[in-house]
Amino acid sequence: MPYPTDPLLLSGAWASVILTLMVYSYVLFKETPLFRFAEHTYISASLAISVIVSYGTLEKNALIPLSKGDLSYLIPVILGVLLYTLPFRQVRWVSRYPLAFVVGVGTGLAMRGAVHAQMVAQVLAAITLPKAPQPIDWFNFFFSLIAFLTSTSYFIFTREHVGLLKIPTKIGRYMIMLALGSYFGNTILFRMAMLSGRVEEILKVFKIIPWP
Amino acid sequence: MAYEPYLEWREATTEENEMSKNIWSKMAEVDRRVLYWVMFIALAIPFISPIGLPVPVTETTKAVYDKIDTLGPKNIALFSIAGGVSAWPEIAPSMVAIMRHLVKREVKIVAWGFFVDQDITMDMIISNVPELKTKYKYGEDWVYMGYIAGAETAVAQLASDVHAVFKADKYGTPIEKLPLMQRVKTAKDIDLVLTVDTGSYILYYIRHWNVGKGVAVAEIGIAMQADMIVYYPVNLVGVMIGVRGGAEYEKLIGRLAEGTVRMDAINVSHILFIIAIALANIGYVMVRRMKK
Amino acid sequence: MSNVLRRREIILFLTGIVGGLNLFEYFFAVKEVAAVASTIRTWVVVISAFALGLGIITAFRVHISHVKRRTKGQWPFSIWLMGFFVLLTLIGLWDTKFIVYDWTFKNVYVALSTTLYAITGFYIFSAAYRAFRARNIEAAILIISGVLILLRNAPIGEAIWKGFPVLGEWVLMKGQVGGMRTLTFVAAVGLVAFGIRTLLGMERGYYGGE
Repeated sequence: MPYPTDPLLLSGAWASVILTLMVYSYVLFKETPLFRFAEHTYISASLAISVIVSYGTLEKNALIPLSKGDLSYLIPVILGVLLYTLPFRQVRWVSRYPLAFVVGVGTGLAMRGAVHAQMVAQVLAAITLPKAPQPIDWFNFFFSLIAFLTSTSYFIFTREHVGLLKIPTKIGRYMIMLALGSYFGNTILFRMAMLSGRVEEILKVFKIIPWP
Repeated sequence: MAYEPYLEWREATTEENEMSKNIWSKMAEVDRRVLYWVMFIALAIPFISPIGLPVPVTETTKAVYDKIDTLGPKNIALFSIAGGVSAWPEIAPSMVAIMRHLVKREVKIVAWGFFVDQDITMDMIISNVPELKTKYKYGEDWVYMGYIAGAETAVAQLASDVHAVFKADKYGTPIEKLPLMQRVKTAKDIDLVLTVDTGSYILYYIRHWNVGKGVAVAEIGIAMQADMIVYYPVNLVGVMIGVRGGAEYEKLIGRLAEGTVRMDAINVSHILFIIAIALANIGYVMVRRMKK
Repeated sequence: MSNVLRRREIILFLTGIVGGLNLFEYFFAVKEVAAVASTIRTWVVVISAFALGLGIITAFRVHISHVKRRTKGQWPFSIWLMGFFVLLTLIGLWDTKFIVYDWTFKNVYVALSTTLYAITGFYIFSAAYRAFRARNIEAAILIISGVLILLRNAPIGEAIWKGFPVLGEWVLMKGQVGGMRTLTFVAAVGLVAFGIRTLLGMERGYYGGE
């Protein structure tokens, strides 16, 4: 695809790169008014899109049905409006009602799902024997099982980690470090992919690399 | 600083002067902006002069591909966007590749999401997969329901009653007028959930769609979601990890694109990281030896 | 009347009932309970859509105070933030396909969003160079595990030595699973414990705890 000539596309591409360089002026040089300008522009744009999209969603999924006579949406709309008393100290108590619904439902849902998916299923997965096992599969099975048991023992806080608990908790710490190291490695992939995306954009717009 | 800061000024000892001239100490004190410039330039080089190393396909990405390969025109896939435009460099290659595969298999697609900027993401996907407009008929072959607030509550409620949550699609068409949505009332009407994830939504789908309703779930996640491997293969059909997953999927569908191009920059940056960690540790050992 | 409605016992009771309904629905197949729980969940989805607007009020309060106090180096940006927000919102509410709105979000918002998210890439590199020292066994295991994952994620790892992606794949698929499984498990235990406390009214932070 050739370098864009359409004024709208071109202006958009250049605006995007100029704003990127404004933001990166903070890390590559020092904090400048350009960075502050870009930062505040982003905040206002993201607040604007939140308002517009949430209004559109409410309109479609609650206000229009309400206007057509579906009164089941009256209570949640009223509760939603009551939520806006939260920033005002004198009437803040009113916002506790919608919050009670949100927190109650969220808590109930999280608990019911967590028990099976994150507790029962994980224990079952840890103790399930490998199918058609090779020696390496047995090694992996026992390694994962020991890692799981020892790491879990590390989170026993009701007893001091001495005596019988000393060695398992120590091994458990090593296993947790192994997991966190893996997480760190993947975090680097994430950050570098994000950064490379912006670098590619800058190179494209400055015609250092061809437009894809 | 290689040494602890002093509370009172005094002349440095000869030994301290020697240590401060040491190259390892100087390297440890380099201005961080130098490091930032090194990274910035290093990331640019592979775009200018591509390396082009092949990307091997891993088990968890292949599992997602194999699952979609079993689907066809009678199946319905849910494409759930739970990631913002800020994560595009990581997840856009995977999203586009998956959508291309779904369209190639003629799978029916229902799309919705939980991020306010997802309309821009959907526009990006449509511009990269024009078959959604040319080959697919909107309303019958695919629908885009738009944004819904509520996080886990919304995911749980959608599992039990989609029509209670969505009254119309993104464009305002009432749900009763969308033929595809007459087939989708609860989670059990969906054959595969593909969740594009930058946070906890994969957990919500596992809890309420997979464990709750037995629906197959696959993750298209950022690299930091790799810890979801613990749910594979019991609760998750497959896991695509970041831009690497996207590059692998592009190879599988035979259409190399943005993900593959970006892997060159990943190669350079990762080697740079390993060099940085190695230098940091060698310097640490050398400074400790000199102190002794 | 408002004194009665202000009582925290009502809030705690409401939270417990609503959460309890959702738990009951999951474990017992009672149609009436399921219907009520489903209705309440739909209500919460609607209420959550209103919550997005709360951030605007807080942001405006902060920035209006900056403008009033003429906070040095901040107040012009506060005016810009509020003015640009009002302009974009009005245009967007009128027509999201309007050229200014469309152009702004596809170029300004996307660019700034990805850029600000990516800025941490610089910091993580600086941290790896300055802070990632193997001072003890735990740190050494963390670094080795991280490096193996780096060499697994980057195809160059295989080009250097065919064993690197094999080891990295093992760490990702088998080695880290035990530890990650533990973190998942204990997080769930904590969630359930916190959830029980919330539903029984022992946790009050969510409504201000007054």
